[in-house]
Amino acid sequence: MKSSIFIAGLLTASAAAMPAQADKLDDIIASGTLRCAVVLDFPPMGSRDASNNPIGFDVDYCSDLAAALGVTPEVVETTFPERIPALMSGRVDVAVASTSDTLERAKTVGFSIPYYAFENAVVANEKVEMADWEGMKGKTVGATAGTYEAIWLEDKVKEWGEGEFRPYQSQADVFLALSQGQIDATVATVEVSEANVNSGNFPGIRIVDKAPMVPDYVALITLREEYGLINYMNLFVNQQVRTGRYAELYEKWVGEGVPADLTVSGVYR
Amino acid sequence: MFDYNFRWNQALNSLPQMLEGALVTIEIAVLSMVIGISIAMVLTLFRLSGYRILSAITATWVEVARNTPALFQIYMVHFGLGGFGIHLSPYLSLLIGIAFNNAGYLTENFRGALKAIPETQTRSARSLGMTPLQAFRNVVMPQMLRISFLPMTNQMVWAILMTSLGAVVAMNTDLYGVTSDLNARTFRTFELFAIAAVIFYLITKAVTLSARLIAARLFRY
Repeated sequence: MKSSIFIAGLLTASAAAMPAQADKLDDIIASGTLRCAVVLDFPPMGSRDASNNPIGFDVDYCSDLAAALGVTPEVVETTFPERIPALMSGRVDVAVASTSDTLERAKTVGFSIPYYAFENAVVANEKVEMADWEGMKGKTVGATAGTYEAIWLEDKVKEWGEGEFRPYQSQADVFLALSQGQIDATVATVEVSEANVNSGNFPGIRIVDKAPMVPDYVALITLREEYGLINYMNLFVNQQVRTGRYAELYEKWVGEGVPADLTVSGVYR
Repeated sequence: MFDYNFRWNQALNSLPQMLEGALVTIEIAVLSMVIGISIAMVLTLFRLSGYRILSAITATWVEVARNTPALFQIYMVHFGLGGFGIHLSPYLSLLIGIAFNNAGYLTENFRGALKAIPETQTRSARSLGMTPLQAFRNVVMPQMLRISFLPMTNQMVWAILMTSLGAVVAMNTDLYGVTSDLNARTFRTFELFAIAAVIFYLITKAVTLSARLIAARLFRY
């Protein structure tokens, strides 16, 4: 009698302990593949090598996350505006795509803690006289549509009430327009600016100044309600810094120097 | 699998901005049609003129406009001319690109319409003492415009939809530009583009319906 109650109790308990629903973290581990959205016209974070394979900081970051999960990484190329539809339609599991963690966007998607931070630079056409970033006032300026710096620059132009803002579809188009003199200046990450000025693909441009915005913290994103995965990604980012992998990737893709500090002093997260 | 919770309020708050964008879209489409029809008329005259050089211009224009993507045409107006130091604003680049495309297609529409008009009419008009230009203007052209009226409406619908290609030349005040800007800020992709699609649908539907009404009224035999 007693033992049958005990067995019934065990059965009930085990039934109750059965997971009601597998979440995305379980799905990824079960499927054996981690599909990452990466923007591949955004060197050094994402680009393609001579034989057309995806390379870059974000690509390696995706591979590291997949390795931590014990699955195979799969890079899915997206543009900046395409990241969210790719996520929502289930084409990718996460986006490792230098996504700036704005509060407005956090209403829609789930952000991890920042995994990188960009400084932005003002780049101008050589024929335009510009001493510092405030020289952009009243000028025709442009940036890559859908990026943090584009939103910042557009708001600045609105605030100044003069000049014109143009959002081009890709980083390459922005620098082409700048090189042709269609726009007078742009704001882009220091990494991208230096890469483009030094590449020689876009003659007649120069870096003028740092853009005076708070560092552009970028985070990994997934669906807003996937707390299990977000929690995992938070710990993963922390471990990347802790183990020195973050510094290693920085040196590999960005160059010598100290990688951006991912902490903000005076507040917990 | 489609993991998405639609939340409309944020997107609907942006409706006034999107409607302003829709006005710009309509403006560009209308202007591009006015310019396109005028150019197509000139190109048609070139073709009828009998001069080799003039009809070659028409042939080239039609070939390029109809056999390359509109996206490419608009891109070339902005960045192609930009390479030669001719800098056009996104608005002008888009307008010129669409007008170029319209002109090519409309010229072909006119050609088809002309084929439907018996040659004998021109000859009769000429025998009444009209000059070739008079015969064209008074006899042939009114019929040509009438026959090609509904195809022109088609082109108008195309022009409206083509405004969304302005994104490649950094156009951000038209309906598509406004929508993608809002999308970059809020990530409410599906709601915003669904609303934009409905607005596009309503505009084009209004154009086709009113064109049919106008045609029924104007072209009663």
